[in-house]
Amino acid sequence: MFFALTDDQRDFGAAVRDFLAGKFDTEAVRAVVEDPDGDGLPATLWQAMGEQGWLAALVPEEYDGLGLGLVEAQVIARELGAGVAPGPWRGTVLAAEAIRLAGSKSQQQQWLPKLAAGEVVGALALRGSTEDGWPAVEYAGSADLLVVADAFGLRLLRADEVSTRRLDSFDGTTRLATVTLADGVGEPLPGGSVEVHAQLAARAAVLIAADLVGGAREALTRTVAYDRERKQFGVPVGSFQAIKHSMADLHVGVTMAEHAVLYAAHALDTGAGGGTTLDDAAALAVAVAKSKASDAAQLVTGAMIQYHGGIGYTWEHEAHFFYKRAKRLAGTAGTAAEHRERIAALTIG
Amino acid sequence: MDLTYTADEERFRDELRGWLRAHIPEEWTKPGFWGSLPSTESFELRRDWERDKALAGFAGIQWPTEYGGRGGTPGMKAIYDEEMVLARAPQTVNALGLTFLAPTVMAIGTDAQRKEIIGPLLRNEVIWCQGFSEPGAGSDLAALSTKGVRDGDGDDADFVVNGQKVWTTNAVHGDKIFTMVRTEPGSEKHRGISMLLIDMHQPGVEARPLKQMSGASEFGEVFFTDARVSAAECLGELGDGWRTAMLLLSFERGASGMSQYTEFRRQYDEIVAVARALGRDQDPVLRDKLARVLAELECLRYHAMYVLTQVEQGRDLGFEASMTKLQWSETFQDLWEVFDDVLGPDATLREPVPGLDLAAMHAQAMWSRSVTIWGGSSQVQRTIVAERVLGLPR
Repeated sequence: MFFALTDDQRDFGAAVRDFLAGKFDTEAVRAVVEDPDGDGLPATLWQAMGEQGWLAALVPEEYDGLGLGLVEAQVIARELGAGVAPGPWRGTVLAAEAIRLAGSKSQQQQWLPKLAAGEVVGALALRGSTEDGWPAVEYAGSADLLVVADAFGLRLLRADEVSTRRLDSFDGTTRLATVTLADGVGEPLPGGSVEVHAQLAARAAVLIAADLVGGAREALTRTVAYDRERKQFGVPVGSFQAIKHSMADLHVGVTMAEHAVLYAAHALDTGAGGGTTLDDAAALAVAVAKSKASDAAQLVTGAMIQYHGGIGYTWEHEAHFFYKRAKRLAGTAGTAAEHRERIAALTIG
Repeated sequence: MDLTYTADEERFRDELRGWLRAHIPEEWTKPGFWGSLPSTESFELRRDWERDKALAGFAGIQWPTEYGGRGGTPGMKAIYDEEMVLARAPQTVNALGLTFLAPTVMAIGTDAQRKEIIGPLLRNEVIWCQGFSEPGAGSDLAALSTKGVRDGDGDDADFVVNGQKVWTTNAVHGDKIFTMVRTEPGSEKHRGISMLLIDMHQPGVEARPLKQMSGASEFGEVFFTDARVSAAECLGELGDGWRTAMLLLSFERGASGMSQYTEFRRQYDEIVAVARALGRDQDPVLRDKLARVLAELECLRYHAMYVLTQVEQGRDLGFEASMTKLQWSETFQDLWEVFDDVLGPDATLREPVPGLDLAAMHAQAMWSRSVTIWGGSSQVQRTIVAERVLGLPR
C-alpha cells in the first residue's frame, strides 16, 4: 500500500512552487489582475511552463514529453492553484490530452511536441456546439490550436479558423472567451468517441479540482499564519476557540479533498480499458474529487476573507484572488451539485 | 501510488476469509440478531467465538509471536478489520484490552505483566474494562478524583481505592479494570495519578449497567468502595499514570478507517434500500444529501489508505489521529441524520410499511449520537487539530 506522492513527485511540485515564489509571486499575479484588457499570459511564466516540463508531463516520450500520469499533472495543477497563477497551462495540457487520446498518428506527430514545449498554446472546449459556439473557454483568445466538442465528436481548429469574443470575468487570474467557427471547419480527431469525451471531461475535472485544493490549502495556510499574529483584545485572534474550531474543520476538509484528488488522478491513470473507457469506479472517484474540492475551496476562501477581518475585504489584499478563482473553478467542469447527482446515479440508481 | 496489498497479505485474507466462512453461523449475520439476544447470552456467545478465533491464529494480528500474536504486517491488520466487517463477524468483547491495554503492556509492562496479561486477554479468559471517565471528569480527564491510599510498605503494599468511574464498556462483564487513580494525596491535575490494574471480582467493586438513550446498555458505572489492589499491579511507574494513559490512548491510531468505511458503506446501501422501499430514492434533495455523505465516506477510505501508508513507512501519525476521529465520527453521524431525512414523516416509526422493520437501523442512528462524544469529543479533537496540527496559539 502506498497512498502518497513519491519523492520525485514531491520534488516536481516543489520546483513549481519555488519558481512561482521566486519569479511569479502574488504581486506578479496582481499585475495580471489589474490589467484586465491584457492577454493574461505573462512571458516569464509561459516560458517556464515550456522549459521546465510543466506542459510536457502527460505527453508520451515519443513526442518529446515526459510520459507521466495524471498523478504528476495534479501535482503541478495544485501548485498553480496555490500560486493563483494565470496562463493557459490547463488548456494546453488538455488539448494535448485530446490529441493523445483521439488524434491520428500524424496529428500527434504534428502537435504533441509543440504543445509539450509551449511553442503552441492550446485550448479545450467540451461544452458548446457548432451552432451556438463554445462559451467561456480558458485562454481561447490566445490559443493557436483549439479542440472543440461537436455533434460528431472532437474537432481540431487553428486560431485563424475561429473567432473569439472576450468575456468579462471577475476572476482576473484567467482570460475567458467565447469561440465560434469563422473561416474554416478544421479537421476531426478520428478517435473522438463518446468514451473519449467522457475521459477528457473526467481529466479536466480532476485537474480543476487539483487547482481548487491547491488554492484552498494555500488560503488556509495564509489565514492560519495571519491569525497567529493578528491581535485583538490583547491576544492573537487565532487563540479564540470559535476560530480554532472552524479552522480545524477546514483543515480536515482540505485534507480530505487532497486525498480525493490524488485518488481520482490515480484511478484515471490505472483505470480499466487502457485509459480511454471511464469505468464506474473511476467515474465515482472523479465526482467525489470535484464535488469535495469545489466545496472545500469555496468554504476556505470565504473563511480567508472572514478570518482576516476588514483587511480581507480590501482590493489590496490577495484574499479575493483565491476567493474569485475558487468561485469560477467550482462552477467549471461540473458544479458540486452536478457531481453529487452523478454520485447518486452511481450509488442509488 | 500503489493501492494493492502484497501477495502474502492477500494469502492471509484468503485464509481468514475461509475460516470466517466456516465458523460464523448464517443466523448470526441476520440484521437484528445480536440485538434480539439477552445481553449476557450475546456476551458469552461472542466471548467463546472470539476465543476460538484466537486459538485458530486470527487474533493479535500485528503483535509479536512471543506474545501469542501473529507477527503480521499493518496491511494484514487492515485486511483483518475489513474482513471481519464483510463477514458480519461478532463484535469483540475485549475491545479495550485488545486495542489499548495489550500494546501498552508490551511497550512498558514488566515481564511478569506481559506473561500474566497478554495470553489470557487474547483467549478472553480475562475481560478488561477501562476506568478513565468519572462523573466529574469527562473531557477534563485530569480532574479525576478516584483515590488510592497506600496501606503497607514496599512490594507488599496495597492501595485502598474509593471513587466512581463511568462510561465503562462491558462493566458488568468485566474481570479486571485498568483504572486511573489519584495515588498521591493532595496532587492535582496530571500529577500523582497511577494506572492500577484492579480485580473487579471483589466486594469493594460494584458494576452497574447504564441504560443509554437507545435503551441498550453498552456502558456501565463502576463503584469502588475500599477496593484493594496490590501496588505491584501498576502499569508504568507509580504516580506516572498520565504518561501511561497518553501512551495507551496513542494506540487508537492505525488503519481501522478501512473497516469503518466498509461498515458505513454497507449502512449507506441499507439506507438507500429503505429510500427505495418508501419510493423516495428519486427525491433530488435526498439524493444530494446521500451523495454528500457518500463523498465523505469515500474520503474516509482514502484517508485510511493514507494512514496505513504512514504506518507502513514507520512515520509517527501524532496528533493527526484527531483528524481521523473527526472524519469518521462526524460522517457516521451525518449518515444517520440523512436516514431520518429519508424517513421524513415516518422518522420515528419502527415499521413505516408492513415488513420493513427498522429497529436495528434506529439503534444505529441513536448510537451515532455517542460517537462524537466518546474517545475525545469532536470539540476536544478540533482544539487538538487547531493547536497541535495547525499551530494556532493556546
